[in-house]
Amino acid sequence: MKKNYEETIGELKEIVRKIEEGEAGLEETMKLYERGTLLVKTCEKSLEEAELKITELQSS
Amino acid sequence: MQSTLRFDTAPAGDVMQVCSVSEVTGFVKKTIEGAGASGVWVEGEITNFKHHSSGHFYFSLSEAKGNKTFTLRCKMWRSSAREVPFEPENGMKVLAFGTFSFYEPFGEFSLTISDLRPAGKGEKHLLVLQWKETLEREGLFFPSRKKQIPSFPRRIGVVTSPTGAARRDIEQVIARRFPVEIVLSPAPVQGDGAHTGIVAALQKLDGAVDVIILGRGGGSFEDLFEFNHPDLVRAVAACKTPVITAVGHETDTTLVDFAADLRAPTPSAAAELVVPDREELILDLRRQHQMMRRGLSRRLDDELGLLEDIRLRLQPRRLLRRMSDEHVSLADISERLKRAVQTGIERRRLALEKAAAELQAQNPALPLEQGFAMIRRDGVVVTSQRVLAKSDHIQITFADGSVDAIVTGEDTDEEKL
Repeated sequence: MKKNYEETIGELKEIVRKIEEGEAGLEETMKLYERGTLLVKTCEKSLEEAELKITELQSS
Repeated sequence: MQSTLRFDTAPAGDVMQVCSVSEVTGFVKKTIEGAGASGVWVEGEITNFKHHSSGHFYFSLSEAKGNKTFTLRCKMWRSSAREVPFEPENGMKVLAFGTFSFYEPFGEFSLTISDLRPAGKGEKHLLVLQWKETLEREGLFFPSRKKQIPSFPRRIGVVTSPTGAARRDIEQVIARRFPVEIVLSPAPVQGDGAHTGIVAALQKLDGAVDVIILGRGGGSFEDLFEFNHPDLVRAVAACKTPVITAVGHETDTTLVDFAADLRAPTPSAAAELVVPDREELILDLRRQHQMMRRGLSRRLDDELGLLEDIRLRLQPRRLLRRMSDEHVSLADISERLKRAVQTGIERRRLALEKAAAELQAQNPALPLEQGFAMIRRDGVVVTSQRVLAKSDHIQITFADGSVDAIVTGEDTDEEKL
């Protein structure tokens, strides 16, 4: 999983909130939407790319 | 002289061999201490326990057998006593490891103890209670110490037995819910001294992963006992990385659970808690996307509505209405004017027609055109036959002209008409 998934999802939720509450101007709303769509894709990609990897340390 | 001292034979004949006290005590000391030099584990009950202000422990180990009591004097020097993870009490069954000592000034035999452990289940339970109090006093269980477990860990450290079921359960759940990197730091999870291996395994992971699961499968109180050890509890509390404990089953509680940042009932549950469910996350992302799309589309609708409203308000409706009013009144006026003019004309035309008719009616030529004729005598219109006589000259006027005529008869009414 890529770095900052938590932050990315946090940013996305903030964008959704701003769009839903209509607190930004129309142009900004459209920019937010573009950014949000990008974040959704990034998150989906990192979720889909997650793989199991198991390493075992040497016991002392 | 000491080398010749013999106890296994009686003094020979009249030759009496006399030893000094120190010779004897020296011999005893050497013999006893030599025999017990490698140390021995002794199990017994603590009696006459004294924790001296110097830090040393003084006590006896006792055993009652039949109607006899057996006792061994014991001492434990401060350097060893402070390593004992509990406070010994009279009546406690213990396992003590010690070497033999003989103290010549008192002629006293004792054990010098270097390791002291509770023996028996009851003692171990008591011990756990003691440890719990101590650790609580150290503040290791304060809720304010608990660290936040990351929501999206990328590397998960696992401290457990490499061959145990706990490992398999954790790996399976993580693989199913959200496959991430797992770093296994193998450790023994039961047996005397296992806690030191667990502490070492924990310390290897601390700071190198996002979160640590410390766990093992279910077992008896004895099996899980090492997870109560103060050294391990302190090590868990000291970890910079958040630690989730999952020791045994739901009903088992060990002291590490109190120091952990999160306690899971089982290793599988710890794995469930440590990673989110990927399917749910994907669904949530889609929901967010949907909400965003709906929000934007609603916003666009709102803006369009607003624009339409403004466009409507921009039209000079009031002016138009006024102009249209003016148009109406103008048309009205013009209509009325037209009507008035027409009425006037009509009236005049009618009057004219009437006058013309009247005029026509008074035209003397009118009857003439219908076949009547006008008769005059000497220029005077004759209106009665009585004024005419035979042979009178008269003038008959028709519509298209006049002729002169002579009256030839009298009173021929029928003929004349």
